[in-house]
Amino acid sequence: MLILTSTGRIVVFAWKNFIRNAWIGLATVFVLLLALLSVNVLIGVNAMASSAIKILEQKIDVSVYFVPETTQAILDQARSYMSSLPQTSSVELLTADQALEQFKERHKNDPTINQALDELEENPLGASMVIKASKVDYYPFLMEALKNPQFSFAIESKTYDDHAVAIERVKEISQTVRYFGAILTLVFVIFSILIVYNAIRVAIYTQREEIGIMRLVGASNAFVRLPLILDGIFFALLALFLATGAIFLTLTFFDPYIRSFFDGNDPGLLSYFFDNSGRIILYEALVMIVLVSLSSWAAVGRYLKK
Amino acid sequence: MGILTNKYMISFKNISKVYPPDVHGLKDISLEIEAGEFVCIVGSSGAGKTTLAKMLIAEERPTRGKIEIGGWDITKIKRREVPYLRRQIGVVFQDFKLLKRKTVWENVAFALEVAGETRKRIKDTVPHVLRVVGLEQKAHRFPTQLSGGEQQRVVIARALVHRPKILLADEPTGNLDTMNTADVIDVLKKINSFGSTVVLVTHNREVVNSLKSRVITIAGGRVISDKAHGKYILN
Repeated sequence: MLILTSTGRIVVFAWKNFIRNAWIGLATVFVLLLALLSVNVLIGVNAMASSAIKILEQKIDVSVYFVPETTQAILDQARSYMSSLPQTSSVELLTADQALEQFKERHKNDPTINQALDELEENPLGASMVIKASKVDYYPFLMEALKNPQFSFAIESKTYDDHAVAIERVKEISQTVRYFGAILTLVFVIFSILIVYNAIRVAIYTQREEIGIMRLVGASNAFVRLPLILDGIFFALLALFLATGAIFLTLTFFDPYIRSFFDGNDPGLLSYFFDNSGRIILYEALVMIVLVSLSSWAAVGRYLKK
Repeated sequence: MGILTNKYMISFKNISKVYPPDVHGLKDISLEIEAGEFVCIVGSSGAGKTTLAKMLIAEERPTRGKIEIGGWDITKIKRREVPYLRRQIGVVFQDFKLLKRKTVWENVAFALEVAGETRKRIKDTVPHVLRVVGLEQKAHRFPTQLSGGEQQRVVIARALVHRPKILLADEPTGNLDTMNTADVIDVLKKINSFGSTVVLVTHNREVVNSLKSRVITIAGGRVISDKAHGKYILN
């Protein structure tokens, strides 16, 4: 009962302080908001870079073109060997007839090509095979595997459309953004701690009379300290609420532009934030509460020692 | 941890206070105050009487010596124990220390709220202590709507809410005219008559002489006189 009464009063005192120091609190909330926004930009860049890499990775494959007279047995052998490798994700075999069908379909409106094909007695196209690796790093291994003497002699050409340079570039950019983002976040976090510390010092100054009387009439240190710490937590929660709102509004507004930047592919930024919102908000709230509490604790502690 | 009703409610043994680098606030003070006594501590400005008063509520620590309050050695009291000490010693200062945005009732209740007392106990206690100081009719006024004497009586009421065994009043009449001074002193005598030990720190000659109680005179950080029915002896 006593604990409940005291807790209730501590919350009421903290809420009154929060309202009374709203203007001073505004600056604190603003810096906390910047810190949170920079953390979320970092999270967004990470999510976007991973989905860009995934999109690029999906575009990588190895196309193998066989000489036209390759027998079905050799083609089957090549397919089953490549499929059996754990590094392979999929193998698609296109026979010479299927290749011709597709070619004709693709060029059905081109009379010159159709005429040229009609003049040929035999199918000029050979079979082909498209292989996808389960990981980007496995492509060099698959290229080596295609040198298998059981069917390598039938291979006319191989194209490895690797996008490796593009992937490396995306990785580099995201790494740089992550690096600078982390520095920026760290700077904002340090600012936040210092500003919360000072905001609580100012709160103590504006309430010095009340705090002095509290101590004089025998309020425990916890009773003096906790409302001020709670005050800091209120600032943090308000900043978190504003940051979350700002992020979702911004993302919803910019999502179509981001999609068009990715050639119509969904980079999944909005869905990433929606799907992980609970986890992100919880972690951010926890970290903010811990940082703000420690900062407020230190600010009040210095006062109480006097 | 707590104040017992010993024969000696307050005991100072060889108390000295040195402020760095070498300023002596108190020099080897020893005195005892019995439970239920009304004691005046007098001295001119800077004599050390406020330092002595602050030591009673652990706002100042002695450099040497031993302080006991109702058998509780508070010489090296831990910081977390200080609130419990202060709930057992009512304190009244010259500058009132009232919250201007709170009414008389709220100011008095505040001392109970911060100690975690229940709403019921607050409702029972506040009217009672306001009656003791004669302010039950002004419970809903703000401090600025009261005279100096009435404000000081609010402070006394607030000091009484924890039913302290000691009431420490440091220059409580310093800002008051003769009429209000008499009112405040009457309230202090009334509280003393209920059994509380009252320590009045003052340099008001008329007050000291009219009380005809024990007078401890301090000068230069030392006790220069301690009389059971003393008078104001300083110039």
